[in-house]
Amino acid sequence: MGVVDKHSLLESFSVGRGVVKPSRKLYIIEPGNVRRVFEALIEKFGYGGFYLSTIVGTDLRDEGRIRLDYYIVLLPEEETVVLRTFIPRENPVIDSLVDILPGALSGECETHDLLGVVFRGNPFLKRGFFAPRDVVEKGEYPLRKDSGV
Amino acid sequence: MGVTKIVEIPVVTTEVPVGPQHPALHEPLLLKVYAEGEEVVKVEVNTGYNHRGIEKLCERNTFYRDIFVVGRVCGICNAVHANCYVRALEQLLDLHPNKRAQYLRVLAMELERVHSHMLINAVMAEIVGFETLFMQIMLDRERVMKAKEILTGGRVLADYMMVGGVRRDIDEEKRQRIRELLLKLKPRVEYYRKVFEEDETIVKRLEGVGRISYSEATSHSLVGPTARGSGVKIDSRVSDKYDAYGEIPFNLVTRSEGDSWARMMVRWDEALESIEMNIYILEHLPSDGNPVPDERRLPRRFPPGEAYTRVEAQRGELTYYVMSDGKGQNPYRVKIRTPSFNNIINSAFMYIGYSLADVPVMLTSLDPCISCMERVTVIDLEKNTRYRLDLKQLAGGKL
Repeated sequence: MGVVDKHSLLESFSVGRGVVKPSRKLYIIEPGNVRRVFEALIEKFGYGGFYLSTIVGTDLRDEGRIRLDYYIVLLPEEETVVLRTFIPRENPVIDSLVDILPGALSGECETHDLLGVVFRGNPFLKRGFFAPRDVVEKGEYPLRKDSGV
Repeated sequence: MGVTKIVEIPVVTTEVPVGPQHPALHEPLLLKVYAEGEEVVKVEVNTGYNHRGIEKLCERNTFYRDIFVVGRVCGICNAVHANCYVRALEQLLDLHPNKRAQYLRVLAMELERVHSHMLINAVMAEIVGFETLFMQIMLDRERVMKAKEILTGGRVLADYMMVGGVRRDIDEEKRQRIRELLLKLKPRVEYYRKVFEEDETIVKRLEGVGRISYSEATSHSLVGPTARGSGVKIDSRVSDKYDAYGEIPFNLVTRSEGDSWARMMVRWDEALESIEMNIYILEHLPSDGNPVPDERRLPRRFPPGEAYTRVEAQRGELTYYVMSDGKGQNPYRVKIRTPSFNNIINSAFMYIGYSLADVPVMLTSLDPCISCMERVTVIDLEKNTRYRLDLKQLAGGKL
C-alpha cells in the first residue's frame, strides 16, 4: 500500500484542503472525526505506517476558536501531512488519542497545560506539566492571547 | 539444626525518585520509578523543572530577534534550532540562500552533530563506569569545538544562521584548519566506535537493555537515533533534503537490535558519516557569491502565512511551526517540538521489566536534553545581588 492510499483515506474524512509551506498537504477535519481518522490509519496501515510528530494548538482569539494541527509523518515515504481541526474557545474539548496512539501523550499534555484544551479520555492531563506554579495558581493558560502572562 | 521459622517478606512496590537532581542525570527531570524488589514495574515522567516559556517569548519579540531567542533553547544543538526557524522565515518570505551559504549551514550543523554524539557517548561511558574513557572522548571532542569556533566564532553558541544565509564566511586558511582538525579526529572516533563495539564490559552493560521494537518506536512517536536504533528509517535530512543535504553524499544509519547498545552505535556511525560529510563540504565548497546577507536590506514586514519546517537535530526530528498574521513585526505563533520532548515523555514504557540499575543507562541511551527552563536568575555583579525574573518580565514587561 503506497502513499496514495493514505492520502485517499485522509481525503475521505476531510472537509477542506490546503497547504502549509513548504508544500505539506493539509486536510481540514471535523473535530468529532479526528479520533476516527487515527483509528482508520492504525487499522489500515498499522503502527508502522505513520507516526504522530507534533500537535500544534493555536489560540485564534478574534475568531473565538482554537485551532489544533496534528502533524503526522507517513512511513516509509516520510512525508509530512497536516490534519487541522477547529474547536470552540469557550469549551475546547476533543477526544483523546492516547489510548490508541501512545505517542500523543506528550503533545496532549503540553497543549492542555499551556492552552487549556481538554482531551476527553486522557487520564494523564494535569496542570503544572510545564507551566510554573504561579501561572497554574492563577488558573491561566500561558499560550492564550488574553492570558496576561 | 533445621529451620524452625520461615518469615515471608511481602513484595511491596517501592517508589524510587530518580531526579530532578541525581548523579546519573545531567539535567533536571524526575523519573518516578516504582520497583518490586529490583524490577521496575512502572515509571512516571515528571517535567516542568526547567520551562522557560520560549514559545511565548517568541510571540513577544520580532521575527529577527527570535533567531537569537531560539538559538538559546538548547546549548548543544543551537545551530539546528536556529536553522529550522530561519528556514521557516525563508519559506514565509520566499527567500533562497545561495549554495555557499547552504553548504556552510550544513557544515555548522554536522560539526554540532559530531560533538553532540561524542558528548552523549562520553556520558554513557561515565555511567557505565569508565571515567577515563569519558575524559578521553571529551578531550577529542575539543577538536570539534575548536573547528566550530573557527567556523562560527563560538565554541558552543554559534548564532550562525541568518535569513538568506549565514553570518560569517570562511577563507582558505580557516577551511584548511577545520579540515586538518577533522582528519585528526576521524581515527579517534573510529577507535572509540571500536571500543564500544568490542569492549566486553560496555557490550554486556548495554546489550539487550531497554529494547524498543519497530512498532513501539513509531506508535510512541520516538525519533532520531532512538528510532533508527530500532530499524525505523526516518531522517529529515534524507526526506526533506533541506539546505545542501540533497547534494552531499551520506548514508542513513539504522540498526535492527533496538537496545541501548544499538542506539549508541548509531550515534558513532552517524558521527563518522558527519565527519565524512564535512570533509566533502570543505573540499567542494561552492563559490557562487557572498553567503552573508546584508542584514539592513532584509524585508521588515512578513506576509501572512504559515510554515512548518523540520530539521534532523542530533537527537532526532526537530520541528518549527511559524505563523505570521501579516499585521505586526512579531510572529503570531511559534511552536517548537524538540526531539527529546517525544523521546523522554513517551518512553516510560521502555523501563518496565528491567532492573533499577539499568534505568540510568536506558535514559542516557535516549540522549535526554531537558532544555525548557521556567525562569532566569539574574545576578547583578555591581550590586552583588541576585533576583529572579518571571516570564512576563523576561518578555519585555516592567521590572
